[in-house]
Amino acid sequence: MNTSYILRRLFYGLLLMLGVVVLNFLLIRLAPGDPAVVIAGEMGGATEEMLESIREEYGLNKPVLTQLGIYIANVAQFDLGESFFFNQPVTTLIGHRIGPTILLVITAQLLSIVLGVFLGVIAARKPNGPMSAFVSVFATIGYAVPVFWTGIMLIILFASVVPIFPVEGMQSVKLRDAGFFVKALDVLHHLILPAFTLAIIYLAQYARLSRASMLEVLGSDYIRTARAKGASEGSVLFKHALRNAALPILTVAGLQFGNLISGALLVETVFNWPGMGRLAFDSILRRDYPTIMGVLFFASFMVVVANILTDLSYRLADPRLRGR
Amino acid sequence: MSALLEIEDLRVTFRTRYGEVTALDSVSMHVNEGETLGVVGESGCGKSITALSVMGLIPSPPGKIAGGSIRLNGEELTTASPARLRAMRGPDAAMIFQEPMTSLNPVFTVGDQIAEAIMLHQKVDKAQALKDAVALLDRVGIPSPETRAKDYPHQLSGGMRQRVMIAMAVSCRPKVLIADEPTTALDVTVQAQIFDLLNEIQRDFGVAIILITHDMGAISEMADRVAVMYAGRVIEDASADDVLDYPQHPYARGLIDCIPALGRDDHRLAEIPGVVPPLHLLGQGCAFADRCAFKQDRCTREKPLLGSHGHHPVACHGIEEARL
Repeated sequence: MNTSYILRRLFYGLLLMLGVVVLNFLLIRLAPGDPAVVIAGEMGGATEEMLESIREEYGLNKPVLTQLGIYIANVAQFDLGESFFFNQPVTTLIGHRIGPTILLVITAQLLSIVLGVFLGVIAARKPNGPMSAFVSVFATIGYAVPVFWTGIMLIILFASVVPIFPVEGMQSVKLRDAGFFVKALDVLHHLILPAFTLAIIYLAQYARLSRASMLEVLGSDYIRTARAKGASEGSVLFKHALRNAALPILTVAGLQFGNLISGALLVETVFNWPGMGRLAFDSILRRDYPTIMGVLFFASFMVVVANILTDLSYRLADPRLRGR
Repeated sequence: MSALLEIEDLRVTFRTRYGEVTALDSVSMHVNEGETLGVVGESGCGKSITALSVMGLIPSPPGKIAGGSIRLNGEELTTASPARLRAMRGPDAAMIFQEPMTSLNPVFTVGDQIAEAIMLHQKVDKAQALKDAVALLDRVGIPSPETRAKDYPHQLSGGMRQRVMIAMAVSCRPKVLIADEPTTALDVTVQAQIFDLLNEIQRDFGVAIILITHDMGAISEMADRVAVMYAGRVIEDASADDVLDYPQHPYARGLIDCIPALGRDDHRLAEIPGVVPPLHLLGQGCAFADRCAFKQDRCTREKPLLGSHGHHPVACHGIEEARL
């Protein structure tokens, strides 16, 4: 893998982020409603004079293009403005919430890839066997069921029927003074349901995709070669075949990362997970522009980073793409 | 001297949508230590299925060995356990395939792939196996083997890849090497080089070779003995000289007549009229009857058996009667 490729990829990523910033800004400004009224409402009533001073304070009375210019310049310095509602810098707000979101999204991503690929591989081994049928049915259901519905069903199941997992929040209040290890376990315990809820749709997709991909690879000549030299079935499946079958899975996983983040918004809302999704949801209701834009910015940033990483890992996995 | 590899009355069937089809019907052949047996016949006649049966690589389902025996060094292979077959592939029997372009795994270096074959059957560490792999690459005539060992298959030409396949196949010093149309995908000059290499390998390693081909030129250059196959049966079995100079079976005669000769003033290349009948439509009689210029009534009623009717074993009612 050459450095110039990585640099080029990073440059494109930067351009993309600039586009995202501009688009975000314009989209939000196009939305109806006057933020000054909303802010004033939060302060408890407004006269025209107050509204004007709010517009002055937040730069809302300047031409849109000027506002855009100021916004881009600020973003370049990682200044995403102040939340109308919290009266706090947006970066601080997001800083507090991005951790839980990343934890949730990465866990869901890993869970869906590892479990999904494993199911797919097992199913591909005997394409007409019962496991294969199970994977197909499970994949169809998993794919069809909306995330929030799965979440609510799981909450009902684990809140009342088998209460073994916490269904709300990220930490138990009573463990506030516990040691790091206990706290980490507690977070993990809270993480299981939301992560699984978020993962299930992707898990189903990866299972289907890897089943199809494995079936194709298992028919290829080099698999016969591997068998002809005496490789064990496990080595044929998980070493020779999976390395090749993983390439399309990797691509889809990278592309799905964006959807995973928007899925996290719903899951965080359902499970009251203290992440960015929850913040986005609340900010939209409050018309808290800087915060919405900040969340969008960070979400886009994560997607762009994920895509760059996917691209690079694709090259690592497939030697035929290197050096291009 | 008893034969190294003995195939007796081998019957292989495949489940297809036309019902069960017999791909190999009472196929018998043998290979002695250090000799080369050529197996010739047109596509679909069962050459490759015979080879895959020896390796225990018949895709199952839909295929299965329905009868007969394969003995390598006196050991019965048709009833051997999968583990035993795996242990046998490499040190006892090895195979190289028709398609060097697709027979190597694209995501592993060629050195790794050869080293894997070595480590599967010998108690050596990775470093030693890689050293052996480099020595083998050198042995099969690959220039600067240390660097080439670190190359991926796509970085090598077709001829080089076939050399790598040969290096991998002989890495565990097999007693039998099956070469399934090893030069079909290569251009003519490279074909000659590969045959030279196979001859050298045979001399140095004392390995018996089963050369599957439809190239009569390759047979005259390489083979000691020849088995001619047609529609899943052996129809003539003799020394290479006998088959080339005195072909008995009308089909074998047809094959020899199809060889264009330098200096012979042929206006048209001879051909065998008709095509091989589909296996599920084989009737009671001789499978070649419909294409045979010497067809008799008996040929459509009764399958001719491989028997010594004078010169050498041949399965043809016409020859049988002429010799009576």
